Amino acid sequence: MKRYLNVLLGVLTAIGGFVDIGDLVTNAQVGARFGLSLVWVVVIGVIGICVFAEMSGRIAAVSHRATFDLVRERLGPRMGFVNLVGSMLVTLLTFIAEIGGVALALQLVTSVNHVLVVPFVAAAVWIVLWRAKFSSIENVLGLLGLTLIGFAVALWQLGPDWGELAASLGEKPAQESWATYAFFGVALFGAAMTPYEVFFFSSGGVEERWTRKDIGVMRANVFIGFPLGGLLSVAIAGCAAVVLMPQGIAVETLGQVALPVAVALGKVGLAIIVLGFFAATFGAACETGLSTGYSLAQYFGFQWGKYVRPDEAAGFHVILLVATVLAAGVLLTGVDPIMVTEISVVFSAVALPLTYFPILVVANDPDYLGEHRNGRVANLLGVGYLVVITLSAIAAIPLMIVTSMGQG
Amino acid sequence: MSTARRTAVVAVLPALVLAALATGCGLVAQPDSTAWDDHAEQAVSDATSEVATARLALETARRERAWSSYTVVLVAQAEESLGTVQDDLSRLQVPPGRDDEAARLDALLDEAATAVEDARSSAVEGRYDDRRVLDALDRVTGRLEDAAGG
Amino acid sequence: MTGPAYDAALHLLDRQVVDSEGRMVCKVDDLELTVGDGGELVPTGLLVGLPALLPRFGRRIGAELTRTHARIFEAQAHRTSPDVVDIDLVEEVDSEVRLSVPRAGLLRPRDDDPSGPERVRLGDLLGLPVTAAPGHGLHRGSRLLDVRLVAVPDGRRHVVDALVVGPGRPGALLGYDRRSEPGPWLVADLVRWLHRHARVVGVGPEVVIDREDRVVRVGPGASVRPLLG
Repeated sequence: MKRYLNVLLGVLTAIGGFVDIGDLVTNAQVGARFGLSLVWVVVIGVIGICVFAEMSGRIAAVSHRATFDLVRERLGPRMGFVNLVGSMLVTLLTFIAEIGGVALALQLVTSVNHVLVVPFVAAAVWIVLWRAKFSSIENVLGLLGLTLIGFAVALWQLGPDWGELAASLGEKPAQESWATYAFFGVALFGAAMTPYEVFFFSSGGVEERWTRKDIGVMRANVFIGFPLGGLLSVAIAGCAAVVLMPQGIAVETLGQVALPVAVALGKVGLAIIVLGFFAATFGAACETGLSTGYSLAQYFGFQWGKYVRPDEAAGFHVILLVATVLAAGVLLTGVDPIMVTEISVVFSAVALPLTYFPILVVANDPDYLGEHRNGRVANLLGVGYLVVITLSAIAAIPLMIVTSMGQG
Repeated sequence: MSTARRTAVVAVLPALVLAALATGCGLVAQPDSTAWDDHAEQAVSDATSEVATARLALETARRERAWSSYTVVLVAQAEESLGTVQDDLSRLQVPPGRDDEAARLDALLDEAATAVEDARSSAVEGRYDDRRVLDALDRVTGRLEDAAGG
Repeated sequence: MTGPAYDAALHLLDRQVVDSEGRMVCKVDDLELTVGDGGELVPTGLLVGLPALLPRFGRRIGAELTRTHARIFEAQAHRTSPDVVDIDLVEEVDSEVRLSVPRAGLLRPRDDDPSGPERVRLGDLLGLPVTAAPGHGLHRGSRLLDVRLVAVPDGRRHVVDALVVGPGRPGALLGYDRRSEPGPWLVADLVRWLHRHARVVGVGPEVVIDREDRVVRVGPGASVRPLLG
């Protein structure tokens, strides 16, 4: 019985943990501008993150190696370092965006300028990383993040013409150019397949000492949790498409993301959604913060982990502190966290092949995985996604320049 | 010799990049006519978005579907963004022969900004059903739509 | 150390080192090989720290980084000599390298007197060009990619028994070189194709690693077999 409860808990937290500031903002933006015409990208992205997370989870369970261990073992110190720098920058950017997201969520409740809230949020994140029993916090935040299901309820309450909504699935709005369509496609893909999710997932697996026996539970989390999280993403886009798009509202603030829910469900619904914003961004802030520490520690080989005592992993905790101070410092300059988010999802797409490729290689290595190495289906998907990920990484920056971040 | 040359390259390269940036991205951009049209169109659609946001936020608050701090944040951010739209446009050098159009657009954006400013002040005071404010928002929405269509 | 035979670069370099209590210590930044009386190469220590890691960033970049590092830490007596974990402290090598002692105070540079045995770094040898008699069918652009270690009969020590050579860079084999089982479709095929010229050269009197001239010479009598069988 306890085992099933654990599986359920894992799945539920995976749903809540799937959505972060990048998913919230990008899905709402895309919904408001393109209706549901880019939902297919979310579907591709969700399958992709399932493939990626399943492979790295399997490697973590069988060989007890986390992502950046493998990156350095397989690519060597030099390519591994390039990889480390790229991934660290993207994760740090996401970390900044998440902390900003928490501050924006609090701003919606208190109307205190988010810049003033940032130092307190950063301090809270650091204290959680340093002192708190992280697994319980992770579960609480994951479960609270489930309140984002409010978007699905709101969409249903709004009672759109479902036939019309379904008809918009494959159709690009006429007033938008193909370049912007492609740009937002890449952004959405980057938001669904953020690299830190996998660093965090596999490092957590190593630390929780998963074994071959845990592969089943891990797969249940991934294959049920992430797709349901993807459904939340689609609901966010759907709400924006129904309420914001007809009025010509382009999403630029977190408040606008929640507006359809307020329209549909009123104060209670709005409160629940803002709580969801807080939980999802706070959880993701902790995860991205840890991921910066994981990647550095795993490259250089010093002790990392949220289960070992902080004084045993002193270097790791110093990195977490430095990263948190850095993120708070960037936000204190008054930079708009939503803009940081927009940039971070695009660069997530750019950085994805760096870690995906070594994981795919190792997932095929009998030396690490023995009988658990990739089967035919996993390889078909794995190689297919290698192509997709590489294409989107190559296209991301040119599209960003051509469309001036999706404005044109 | 080679060290000196390398030093020269290191010094000249950033200078070239800076020069390229200065011609392309100066404080005052000088778009040609079609580029200016694109900017103007973008400004109109951004302004439409902000006015609609303020309108929807007030409307939602009037129906008691949102609390006051949320409404204030939403409308205040719309006001701020609209200010940015105006600033960005004012930094563009108007191409020759387009002064009238630019002035009309300026006036329109001003009207939008005023309407959203009034919306903000009534949101802060908690008056969500002030007809005058809502009408002003509706009026400017209509004019922005006309401008976008024309 | 356990295991009868393994490839040093593939199975040892860049692996995580863990102490007797399961805490992480460092990575294997490089491997120290000691030249024995008969000229054989015996792994004697794991090299750790930036002085070991930086030279592996490539010949030019690595040298530049090493110089910069030495300049920054000019006051440090050991700024160019890496820390060493003696190979006897290694208990097991699998996906991590397990030591038989706790990590506290473990890392320190080797205190050698200059008349002692000659020591080389694996990272210095990898990438050395290989010249061979034409009959062996070695690719002209072959380089040293890895060294194969086997346990000597007493079981405690290993010795370099064969060299893996081929065109390309060390590390570019991605690990697919070592087994004949079908790996992943497409990626493995590609890597196999890229490394169709890779060979294993048995160490013997005909094979000379000339560290002065930075070249590996393979004589006509050496045993050479393809890597992918």
